[in-house]
Amino acid sequence: MIDTSRFPATNAIGDFIRATLPGPAAELTNIVLAVLAILTVVGLTPVALIWMERKVAAHFQARLGPMRVGYHGLLQPLADGIKLIFKEVMKPEGADTFVFFLAPILSATASFMVLTVIPFDHHLQVTDLAGGVLYVIAVAGLGIMGVLLAGWSSNNKYSLLGAMRSGAQMISYEISLALLMLLIVLLSGTASLREIVFSQAGTVLDWWIFKFPLFGLVAFVLFLISSTAELNRAPFDMAEAESELTGGFTTEYSGISFAMFFLAEFVNMFMAASLTTTFFLGGFLAPQFGLAPLDRVLDAIPGFLWFFLKSYSVIFIYMWFRWTFPRPRVDQLMNLEWKVLVPANFFLLLVAGLFVAMGLV
Amino acid sequence: MENTIFYWLAGALILMSLLTVSVQNLLHAAISLIGSFFATAALYLLLQMEFVALAQIMIYIGGIVVFMVITILLTAQLGAKNLFPKTWPQRLWGGSVCLSLLAVMWLTLQSNDLPPATPIAPTAEPASLTAVGFRLLSADGTGFLVPFEIISLLLLTALIGAVVVARRDPKPAAAGVPPVPADQVSGKESS
Repeated sequence: MIDTSRFPATNAIGDFIRATLPGPAAELTNIVLAVLAILTVVGLTPVALIWMERKVAAHFQARLGPMRVGYHGLLQPLADGIKLIFKEVMKPEGADTFVFFLAPILSATASFMVLTVIPFDHHLQVTDLAGGVLYVIAVAGLGIMGVLLAGWSSNNKYSLLGAMRSGAQMISYEISLALLMLLIVLLSGTASLREIVFSQAGTVLDWWIFKFPLFGLVAFVLFLISSTAELNRAPFDMAEAESELTGGFTTEYSGISFAMFFLAEFVNMFMAASLTTTFFLGGFLAPQFGLAPLDRVLDAIPGFLWFFLKSYSVIFIYMWFRWTFPRPRVDQLMNLEWKVLVPANFFLLLVAGLFVAMGLV
Repeated sequence: MENTIFYWLAGALILMSLLTVSVQNLLHAAISLIGSFFATAALYLLLQMEFVALAQIMIYIGGIVVFMVITILLTAQLGAKNLFPKTWPQRLWGGSVCLSLLAVMWLTLQSNDLPPATPIAPTAEPASLTAVGFRLLSADGTGFLVPFEIISLLLLTALIGAVVVARRDPKPAAAGVPPVPADQVSGKESS
């Protein structure tokens, strides 16, 4: 079992503030700082991901991608952002004004809220809820609301169709995501994300992807597939299939409202990748191979760097998916979920129950 | 401090609930319902019931309201044409039901045979998930194992029922229904 004293839950900045300010003021300052930190992550993640998406897409198609704005196009996201913000915000005639502007805010809020329980490092987590997994599932529902409301309030057939597809898809795949999270909860015996990470301490073979022999790998692949669908990303992007629905539920959005959806999408992708990291890849724990000298070097690297490295590798897999697989039809997507993924997840749960009951993991 | 937060939350809850029943646009009503569910969840959090609060958000907002919104979206011609009809008899009935409920609650609260409310220590530890699980499923007579199993059976029945209702059977003869003779089928089609 892991020695948790090596991983204190408080960090130096928080300790310093608690030591210098009186009780309630210190708590308040720490909360404000935590929110600011989350906002920084929210602000910087899309910047990194836009650049990465453009570059990955380009190299998959034997192009160079953005090269002119900054070194190898590093400032391209800035240019994109400025362009989006300065565009005019337009509202279609007959749209429901209140809902039309509420929807992008709901979407963005939902993706920010999940980040508060993600353990970026042992001392970098806003709050460690005992029911962290429940919280993640609960907040994801809000994102669906944003999509549905956006589609309806736009007063546009393409938007409504896109929203219905998207909503149906997200609700369906949320089931298999929840079942997979339940699988990890069952295996690790806790629903707190921090404890789930600690349950994977040890060597690389103790990560849930390998610790639950073979089935862990299957669960990992299923989690990747379901979260790609939950994110409405290609190849499961029927909701905004350009060739059929112009732009799906975002058809009528422009300027900063569209930027909100865009932001939410990229933050969601990061969130899904960090959940994958937390559940299957040992979270912020450094990979250990059982070779003492190598392990000491790897362990010296701070946990949040490992966390971001693992998360961005998962994000790369999502981008890889996008340029590799063709888009299935809507009915094929639903068949995949209800006739393949859900039964497979129930089977995995059954096997995991057996393993836990027999003390094999 | 706790009292101030409680009154703010209760005020928000009352406002959202009133909006839910008084707004004429169904979709706006659903949105204010989300607000009222959030306020309720926050009240649970104030009572240190983390699990109940999360379950509230997950089931009511993530499940039920999303379901309601999808139903509303599938409804054609929502908007100015299809508003809730409001007539005076309806208002009278609704108002009298509300008033009688309020009166019953008031009378109950006024009668002194209720046990005095024990204040919950604000520093009480939130009930852990493990505790909730054991309380729910313990078989030693204190748990709720039998209701839990009956509810799962009920849900299973509902699921199978939904599948049966939604299924379009290409061959009705295969589903245990006595086969319809071919001449009768063709006769129906021609008539």
